[in-house]
Amino acid sequence: MIKKVLIANRGEIAVRIIRACREMGIETVAVYSEADKEALHTQLADEAICIGPAPASESYLSMERILSATIVSGADAIHPGFGFLSENSRFAELCEQCHITFIGPGSDVIARLGNKQEARNTMIAAGVPVIPGSKEPVYDAETGAVQAEAIGYPVIIKAALGGGGKGMRVAETPEEFETGFRTAQKEAQNAFGDGTMYIEHFVRHPRHIEFQILADSQGNVIHLGERDCSIQRNHQKMIEESPSIAISEELRKKMGDAAVRAAKAAGYVNAGTIEFLLEKNGSFYFMEMNTRIQVEHPVTEWVTGMDLIKEQIRIASGEPLSCTQEEIHISGHAIECRINAENPEKGFRPSPGTITDMYLPGGKGIRIDSAVYSGYTIPPYYDSMIAKLIVWAPDREEAIRKMQSALGEIIIEGIDTNVDYQYEILHDPRYLSGELDIEFIEDRERSASCDS
Amino acid sequence: MNLGSMFKKTHGSAEKKAHGAGSQKGPKVPEGLLRKCSMCGAAIVAEEVREGYYICPKCGGYFRMGARRRIRMIADEGSFEEWNRDLAGPNPMEFQEYEEKLEEVREKTGLTEAVITGKARIDGTDAVLGVCDGRFLMASMGWAVGEKITRAVERATEERLPVVMIICSGGARMQEGIVSLMQMAKTSAAFKRHSDAGLLYISVLTEPTTGGVTASFAMLGDIILSEPGALIGFAGPRVIEQTIGQKLPKGFQRAEFLLEHGFLDRIVKREEMKVELSRILKLHEKGEWETVKSDRNSGGEYRCDPAQLSAWERVGISRKKDRPVGSDYIRELFTDFAELHGDRNFADDRAIIGGIGRFHGQPVTVIAQAKGKNTKENLDRNFAMPSPEGYRKALRLMKQAEKFQRPILCFVDTPGAFCGMEAEERGQGEAIARNLFEMISLKVPVLSVVIGEGGSGGALALAVADEVWMLENAVYSVLSPEGFASILWKDSSRASEAAEVMKLTAEDLKRQNIVEQVIPEPEEYTEKNLGEVTRIMEEKIGEFLIKYKVMTAEERSERRYERFRRM
Repeated sequence: MIKKVLIANRGEIAVRIIRACREMGIETVAVYSEADKEALHTQLADEAICIGPAPASESYLSMERILSATIVSGADAIHPGFGFLSENSRFAELCEQCHITFIGPGSDVIARLGNKQEARNTMIAAGVPVIPGSKEPVYDAETGAVQAEAIGYPVIIKAALGGGGKGMRVAETPEEFETGFRTAQKEAQNAFGDGTMYIEHFVRHPRHIEFQILADSQGNVIHLGERDCSIQRNHQKMIEESPSIAISEELRKKMGDAAVRAAKAAGYVNAGTIEFLLEKNGSFYFMEMNTRIQVEHPVTEWVTGMDLIKEQIRIASGEPLSCTQEEIHISGHAIECRINAENPEKGFRPSPGTITDMYLPGGKGIRIDSAVYSGYTIPPYYDSMIAKLIVWAPDREEAIRKMQSALGEIIIEGIDTNVDYQYEILHDPRYLSGELDIEFIEDRERSASCDS
Repeated sequence: MNLGSMFKKTHGSAEKKAHGAGSQKGPKVPEGLLRKCSMCGAAIVAEEVREGYYICPKCGGYFRMGARRRIRMIADEGSFEEWNRDLAGPNPMEFQEYEEKLEEVREKTGLTEAVITGKARIDGTDAVLGVCDGRFLMASMGWAVGEKITRAVERATEERLPVVMIICSGGARMQEGIVSLMQMAKTSAAFKRHSDAGLLYISVLTEPTTGGVTASFAMLGDIILSEPGALIGFAGPRVIEQTIGQKLPKGFQRAEFLLEHGFLDRIVKREEMKVELSRILKLHEKGEWETVKSDRNSGGEYRCDPAQLSAWERVGISRKKDRPVGSDYIRELFTDFAELHGDRNFADDRAIIGGIGRFHGQPVTVIAQAKGKNTKENLDRNFAMPSPEGYRKALRLMKQAEKFQRPILCFVDTPGAFCGMEAEERGQGEAIARNLFEMISLKVPVLSVVIGEGGSGGALALAVADEVWMLENAVYSVLSPEGFASILWKDSSRASEAAEVMKLTAEDLKRQNIVEQVIPEPEEYTEKNLGEVTRIMEEKIGEFLIKYKVMTAEERSERRYERFRRM
């Protein structure tokens, strides 16, 4: 069993990992940058080692310094948290070479799943549905039309060198395809000097549904149900919940089986997440696999009763999973809101600074994972997420009311936060109805700007 | 709230001490995984450096690298065919322990000698490639190194291939005495034949290039590139310091110093070297001429409108701050432009931009007098008043264009050649004269376009061309109107009057057959509507190239002679 863990991260996730270790009787070593001397994780861990100046590239991303700190502290394992080096196969490989347990999958698995094309091929081979698309580049509308027919409308036409929406068109019908292809190709030619195109099935108004899986080194793989993360802004998730009201028991089994197959096909060990796009008609497509613990893991923890961080540490120690698929039951409904130090009225501009006063809610069914305290100064160098508010109730309706109540209690003075913005979303009739898709925030902002 | 050690800690069974070397299973860094950068001292992952470009990820400094890795970095995968792999030399002076030393180095490096030569494809282009390896007696040049290079260059001449040499060296190999000195002449001789056959040689200088190698083939490239920061010199810095009894300034003999002093064409980052080499090689490939067809109606003919503007007003327009400058035309008219620097003599004059670009796919040499867009740029470019080294750079590039049969396009825009002590010391008059003398017989088509001010001899030194064109509001004269008034009337304030009598407008000069074409300009001509002018230019340049390309070199030369003979 692992005896001492170095946490190669900061913020609330570092705190979360320190707590899990403490409960398991494992010693902890925090690493911190010069800007994080007063950070909660630095203070909370049994030991703390400064690994460099404020910029992440010279501290939390410096593989050499983190490895040196591990050796010096006598830790036998590294928990990478999320972000920073958590999905860096090179770092995982260096840990392996130094005989340090990397709490996560093997470096080869990270590398394979990090490569989009290779990941896609692995999934196709495992019978996990991916977004249908042209295998070969397409150069003319006639060939394209044949392919579009085979892929199934609506389709999206994309430039091989595309970006920023240029050289991109959605076509609903063969007629639209003809003109759409020509315009997109012309745009691509003008913008990138290259008219190589690809055609893909266009997934309209999808939900972001992800499945949590756990895999041990004995070959056992289970899934812990889904999380609905459709509320996102610029691909940044804001609110996550489990279960998703769009998933029936039958669909959960189907998608869960696919997720387990995907993990098995990748040779996956430890905790991981398979992200799908879910279409309104119930079709789902593999997007990518995240090879780390995720920000939103608490909602899964609450509806399954598992502790994912502890499970990660046990798996990394070579122990088998603590339960089987049959023992996993989804119970009640959990919602998480990310609390960020940012100003939604000024384009979500980050708002670092000193928290002069703070009151956080509590009570039955309320959990707060945070790394801030009254008097703490949020440094400007890192991610703006400062806390996660998670609630649990027997059903979604009650969970929403609990979240509304809890958000209404939060007081954070001295900096700007998105608490009020989250509060508004939690009262949005469309959110309440559960009719969500990944364009929810965009639609909302659009209609807000029309109203004013 | 200060949290300082307020929290209770876990103190479990884990050992406090670090894992010593004693414990076999515990975490430890295996031998060689981490290395210390010799330049900045930071700990770095050795493999990362080896898999990359041998660059320190922390300080960005370049590590020296072996020849085989260099070849892998430059040549297309699997394309390198090595020549004379086992060629080794004698011990001409029977120098003691030389052979033992050689054996030892061979054992250690797996190389037979300090250079590897052969044929490779670089991004699809065939070239002869020679790469020095500093681990082998500091890549010093003895008989075998000289012989391998000479054979490779001779074969390149025979097979009509370009040569790329990636060079580092401590100089001649002392253990081989006079024989090693002769290698300098031998390799230079081989490169001369290669050059006379009209073939391209690119030399790439890396840390360190010194002594007899610098004083021979390293400095003979048609194009000389270098890695940033490389030490390049004839005498080593230690020798110089001992001789003159002074400490050398920082940066002396570094690549940047050489660029400033006119000996390098460009400094190229290691990771971009292959792309740059490929671009230059492709600019020298013999391709088909693409005809310039314009699908646009350029509306191009200039019609005289004598009542419109006074000559003095046009002088003002030609000097306007927001008028497009040389670099704008280069950007607008050419693709793939590779700027080449230096006169190979004294300095790189920033008042003149020169290089190779493509005009509708076809390589051309472009030379432009370069005004800046603001005071800062103008100070950097000396307000487009060239020094002698600027004219010498231009001539060097024109001679190069002649060797590779590229047409030459000049953009003239200067108040005049720079008047200053330094310019006189280095022979401003000689430099201008030399250009007039050489340009008249260049064997390739030459076109000059006066885009702004055509100031006197400083302008003429880039305008001995088959045709000279002017923009509608450009001026071209023997002297500035201010100078003219002060010489003739002892009153420079009568400049506007002078402008009228000097007949310096495009229209006047067209009438006198000093220029062939006048290109119309929009009313308020700035970078914004540059396209309106370059569209017309593009079409006319296309016509010019077709017209002059079909003539023989003699015909062109004869016509050019007559053009000035009649004046």
